[in-house]
Amino acid sequence: MKQLRNHANSAAALLIAVLFALLLRDPVWIDVAVVIGIQALIALSVGLSFGQAGLLSLAQAPFAAIGAYATGIISVHYGGSPLAGLAGAIMLPALLGYLLARLVIRLEPLAVALATLSLAAIVEVVIRSWDSVTGGYVGLSGISPLAWAASPREYFWLVLLVIVIVIALYENLLASRFGRALNTLRHDRARAMADGVPVVAVSSAAFGLSAAFAGVAGWLYAHYVSYVGPGDLGTHLSISVVLMAVIGGASYVLGPVVGAIVLGVLMRMLPAQELQGLFYGGTLILILLVARDGLLGIAEPWFARALRAIVPQPARVAPEDERRT
Amino acid sequence: MLLFTEYVIRGLFLGAMYGLLALPMSLAFVTVGTIDFAVGAYALLAAAIGATVGGTLGALLGLAGALVASLVMAAVFVLLKRAGHHDTIMIALSSFGLAVAIGSIVLASWGSTAFVRQGLDAVWTVAGIRINPQGPINLAVGLALLAGLTALLFGTGLGRMLRASAVNAQGAELAGIPVVAVQALIFAAGGLLGGIAGLLILYSSGLDFTAGLSLTLSGFAASIVFGVSNPARGFLGGLAIGVAEALSAGYGSGAMTALIPQFVVLLTLGLGMLGAGRYTGYRP
Repeated sequence: MKQLRNHANSAAALLIAVLFALLLRDPVWIDVAVVIGIQALIALSVGLSFGQAGLLSLAQAPFAAIGAYATGIISVHYGGSPLAGLAGAIMLPALLGYLLARLVIRLEPLAVALATLSLAAIVEVVIRSWDSVTGGYVGLSGISPLAWAASPREYFWLVLLVIVIVIALYENLLASRFGRALNTLRHDRARAMADGVPVVAVSSAAFGLSAAFAGVAGWLYAHYVSYVGPGDLGTHLSISVVLMAVIGGASYVLGPVVGAIVLGVLMRMLPAQELQGLFYGGTLILILLVARDGLLGIAEPWFARALRAIVPQPARVAPEDERRT
Repeated sequence: MLLFTEYVIRGLFLGAMYGLLALPMSLAFVTVGTIDFAVGAYALLAAAIGATVGGTLGALLGLAGALVASLVMAAVFVLLKRAGHHDTIMIALSSFGLAVAIGSIVLASWGSTAFVRQGLDAVWTVAGIRINPQGPINLAVGLALLAGLTALLFGTGLGRMLRASAVNAQGAELAGIPVVAVQALIFAAGGLLGGIAGLLILYSSGLDFTAGLSLTLSGFAASIVFGVSNPARGFLGGLAIGVAEALSAGYGSGAMTALIPQFVVLLTLGLGMLGAGRYTGYRP
């Protein structure tokens, strides 16, 4: 029971994943679900950096692009296996994210947002102009598919599995000393310093880890589509994953996933592609104004009440010193 | 040498527009402590409207459009403050949302073709260098607005209120200054100055629907490179970045040129020069 309480989010994610895997049969929706799943993974990375560490990153899509290109280059130019690609797709974004964070984290959080925006622009220019390695405007095609997840349905299972693993890791992290340090420094940097938290190192590590999550999503993307181009994982995706995290509730572990599902399904119903940005931007502003903690923030009190009704809570035992007085 | 001089002059004309964008950005950063990511989008909107209608009327309508967009941002800012969000990241994030929304509106209504208008046909030849008079006009407009803004900041009651809100918002509030209203005014100023910059760019090099965020970044790079504390430094920063870009475009490659503002931002931030003054008690 204790295990379940500590891992409620992973358990819920696993349950939802199994339900989805059993219920989804339509090939069109399976394709949609794979794409939403990959976006949910990038949104989870926003949840870690923005929701837990308070660092707004506008470069999560470029981190995913770096992951996708890393595995693409290993696969196309060197004929390497997807697993070697996975190592590259995790390490390269993590290193870059860590170094960037290390550089700017001493400053106020706003500076981090700006630095990530600059980094996004740099990554985009490098991808477009480094023809011999990234394929320039043409992109990289012929990335080898995964032998053990060949059909879209199998790939969908793989994406679900990766999401559940990432959520379990994420949850473990939050329950650790590291996670508590992260939450303290988001609320009050001075307090965290006074508690002996190495602020720069902890924030940078969290940022690097979040970049690694995005890199894994890029790896999944590259091997699913078997192509990466310069326009695929760009600025519009960076804003939409931030939006997903904020809509679902960035500080909740499952918030970004909920946001990704809601937004992903809504986007399929939007008529004009050009108006996507208006929809994203408008929704972002609206949600910041009316429901800062996102959908899960709205649902939490109801959920807690329902839970109390079902599971009787043990009576609170007063601590010893309280009893004496 | 002649070529070098020509590049430098071209850079100064280009930089005047970055300097113009830097003015509202440094104002917003110093007084509100946030970044209005939508400043470049205001410029884009003004240019789009100005290109369609044309002439003086187009310019005026473009400015009005930019001003309306920035008033939306001001309203969002006031609403966020009313709702008790004092987190500057939230304000920056909503301005980012607005920038994306404006870019999308421009794409949906005007398509992806670039906006550019030929203003003046005349060409001046000065000491062997051919100059389109639009360049000196840009520089003159930029300098005039800088002078106007400086006079406003340091010569009027409103300017004093602005500076007071920047130094100590709480103290200013206690002294009876409507701090939130004053700060909202700064967002509106972003629309006005951004709109003017957009119109000047329209008549010089032109721009397309993707320009919004990159203009914001260039403007912000300009505003921080020599220190964010006063508008003149921001304008000077704009000129410096303009010259660096023109030299890089002349002697180097296009990709390198596009990266200059980004590297300026990363370098300035990396050296820890942004916002350091806030903790050492400087007075804007």
